[in-house]
Amino acid sequence: MRVEDDLLVVRCQLGEREAFEELIARWHEPLWMYVRRLTASDDTAADVVQETWLRVVRAIARLREPGSLRAWLFGIARRAVMDRLRVRYREPTVPLDDVDVAADVVADELDLQALHAELEALPLLEREVLVLFYLRELTLQELSEILEAPLGTIKSRLFRARNTLRRQLEAKGWTR
Amino acid sequence: MKPTVEEMQRLLDAELSVRARIAYTALLLVALLMTVSITSLWATETSLPPRTEVAFAVMVAIGSSWVAYAVWVLTKRRVLLAGHRILAARMAVTFSSLFAIGALLLALRGVRGAVGASCTGLLMASIAVAMLVHAKQQFARLLARRRELEAMR
Repeated sequence: MRVEDDLLVVRCQLGEREAFEELIARWHEPLWMYVRRLTASDDTAADVVQETWLRVVRAIARLREPGSLRAWLFGIARRAVMDRLRVRYREPTVPLDDVDVAADVVADELDLQALHAELEALPLLEREVLVLFYLRELTLQELSEILEAPLGTIKSRLFRARNTLRRQLEAKGWTR
Repeated sequence: MKPTVEEMQRLLDAELSVRARIAYTALLLVALLMTVSITSLWATETSLPPRTEVAFAVMVAIGSSWVAYAVWVLTKRRVLLAGHRILAARMAVTFSSLFAIGALLLALRGVRGAVGASCTGLLMASIAVAMLVHAKQQFARLLARRRELEAMR
């Protein structure tokens, strides 16, 4: 998978049109799902995904580390979402020592559809970190690159998001 | 409404148009060479009437604006990929060489302003050749990396 991605990037950088088609075929769906979960409607998500692909084409020549394609793509999508929504937020202040991101406390035990519905109700920043970590299965390091925040911030944001989601689920009668 | 893979591919197909890149490269080169010619002429002509000075200044400003616009498009919108860079550099070599040769011929006939233009033309041709060499090296590097990755599959 990693070699395939690297190869796709190099072929795109060479200017091969078929490589761009393959890139879209492979990554359109994951990007769509990510963007759709962060935006309020299909129409907004469609605009953002379109904008994301245009930015990808315009920037791929400058991608120096093809190995980070996944993080790079989601990073571009995220910036497109942020540009669209113009969200401003404060950094979380949760003590990092209390954070244990390895423990998955939610995803395993819940019906996925109900979880998605609850995710939609979360604030944007909390939603995106959960989507990327649990649903897209990105690593913390990749999240740090995509969200342009230090690893510690990512961990605390994840911790906070998980707690918010848990509280939300408990309020609706879900139990662990 | 969720856009399909095919719709996105069509969108990028238009975005990756080689014809548009050639057109903007040509615009850049023509605008650049015209601006250089006018500037050379303007710099070497003495005692021009104020109205002519203004006309030269306006023409240089217009030429520079086109140059800036074409550079912006080629670096931010219709970005040149490795294959495109070779094509663009070849165009630059051709345009600037023709310009330099033309200016040199005029200089040999003693046309005022042609010496400056031919010097600038030669300088631009040298830069274009350097760009072509660099573009080819970059293309070769990417090609080698591609072969390497294909062997690893």
